[in-house]
Amino acid sequence: MPTNVTEPQDQKTAPRPEAAKSTLPQPGRPVPSRAYPGALIVVEGTDGSGKSTQLYLLKRWLEIGGYRLHFTEWNSSPLVKSATRRGKQRRLLTPTTFSLLHAADFADRCERQIMPLLQGDYLVLADRYIYTAFARDASRGCPPRWLRNLYRFAPIPDITFYFRAPLDIAVHRILSGRPKLKYYEAGMDLGLSYDRAESFRLFQARILEEYDKMVDTDNFVVLDGTIPVNKLQKQMRDIVASKIDLKRFAPHAAEAE
Amino acid sequence: MPDQEKDKEKAAAALTATADATSAPVPGTATKTPTEEEASQYFYGEALVGFDPSEITGSLIVIEGMDGSGRSTQIALLQEWLESEGFAVQTSGLRRSNLVGRDIDELLAKNAVTRLTLSLMYATDFFDQVEHRILPALRSGTVVLADRFIFTLIARGVVRGINRDYISGLYAMALRPHLTFWLNVRPETAFAREFKKAQAISYWEAGRDMSLSHDLYWSFIRYQTMIKREFEVMAKRHNFIELDGEASVSSVNKQLRQRIADQLGIRATKYTPSAALAHLWR
Repeated sequence: MPTNVTEPQDQKTAPRPEAAKSTLPQPGRPVPSRAYPGALIVVEGTDGSGKSTQLYLLKRWLEIGGYRLHFTEWNSSPLVKSATRRGKQRRLLTPTTFSLLHAADFADRCERQIMPLLQGDYLVLADRYIYTAFARDASRGCPPRWLRNLYRFAPIPDITFYFRAPLDIAVHRILSGRPKLKYYEAGMDLGLSYDRAESFRLFQARILEEYDKMVDTDNFVVLDGTIPVNKLQKQMRDIVASKIDLKRFAPHAAEAE
Repeated sequence: MPDQEKDKEKAAAALTATADATSAPVPGTATKTPTEEEASQYFYGEALVGFDPSEITGSLIVIEGMDGSGRSTQIALLQEWLESEGFAVQTSGLRRSNLVGRDIDELLAKNAVTRLTLSLMYATDFFDQVEHRILPALRSGTVVLADRFIFTLIARGVVRGINRDYISGLYAMALRPHLTFWLNVRPETAFAREFKKAQAISYWEAGRDMSLSHDLYWSFIRYQTMIKREFEVMAKRHNFIELDGEASVSSVNKQLRQRIADQLGIRATKYTPSAALAHLWR
């Protein structure tokens, strides 16, 4: 966690003009994407699509360059972790409570890390974002409109990379690398199949379908998760460099101007 | 998936907006999806996933009111009365879920949580109880006495500046109670009663997180007055049965029993509490 979170050095970092009048949004209201000076890059995709590897490499590239950034992961808030673990272990979670608990986790990270850092002119990288909830929870039967409302407080990303890999490839990557799939991970709660691997496959197929529906409505940048890692990373870096004014997040950006 | 921008503009499923509740079909779900008409009869907006409303044979009775309004006293008495009349009774209340009840207690004790996260944890607690406690009871013909319901949770969120449509939308899948009673008391009375109970007022009861006043008494009064105003708004919209919570326990109890007897289709019989509960009767 960077140290100068609460006191952004406004003078030095020279926020964009439209950011000058930014005020903290009311919780639960949609956050206009230019209500803050920072930038948000998000990766999405099914399990095994390669998204985490690619975001890691993007992060390394930016870190090595000394850029001001913060990395955040889905389902990682310490505040909500014990509840999620207990719910999963004892299989207490229904589609509704599964969804709400993940929203609580996200709200905690959003209110305490993502929003303050975006206000404080940081580049924020998120491994999975609200679209994971939209795809996964809709696959579990939650009403899409209810889900959209649930995450209305989330800032809209500057770039959402969608790593798309064919079902067979993605499923094979997971099944060959993991000794045992967990109950909810495999979507066993949906009652699709008694066989965990088969259940996982059917669940992932639904999720893939839900992701595909969002490509246009949510401005996903679709990347092919099957091409070699270094080539894919090059594409990702090029897109980031073309869409985001990285200089603003570089070390001593203000002095250079 | 509807267009995101449009969707974000429109307030999703507010409690009142049941008429235009056009829930998009969910592809390939194995669970039964009630029709819209069924859904709006039992829920505020959206139907709960995997729930068949025709299974409900019990009654859901909600008692709302601020701390010190006499809710728990009345629920204890009503439970005894209903059981003596031969009804199975289940109770529910805030922070009583197996899933997150204790986690919320911890968050409150540490005071290390933001308002939105806390609201969502309460929503998780609420729906866990709906799905694991309230619905199973209602399916088996039980009378459910709920000590507070979504209305307290909505009021607490709204006074803390959370968007009203947002928080109402969260509870769009909440069951509609058969009866909702509001035990209305003045904050000053509630303060005296609460103080007498514990010789102290808790941080959250007094709304200390809202920085209303450094003086505990005034913080309590201002906070509970704000909550009360939200209840006044909801009382009309959601057909609360408002009772004077400052009247005697026996008089409030009598009014509750009359309305509940009507709901259950029984005659309102005389009731005097057993020795175990006699101390509540004043």
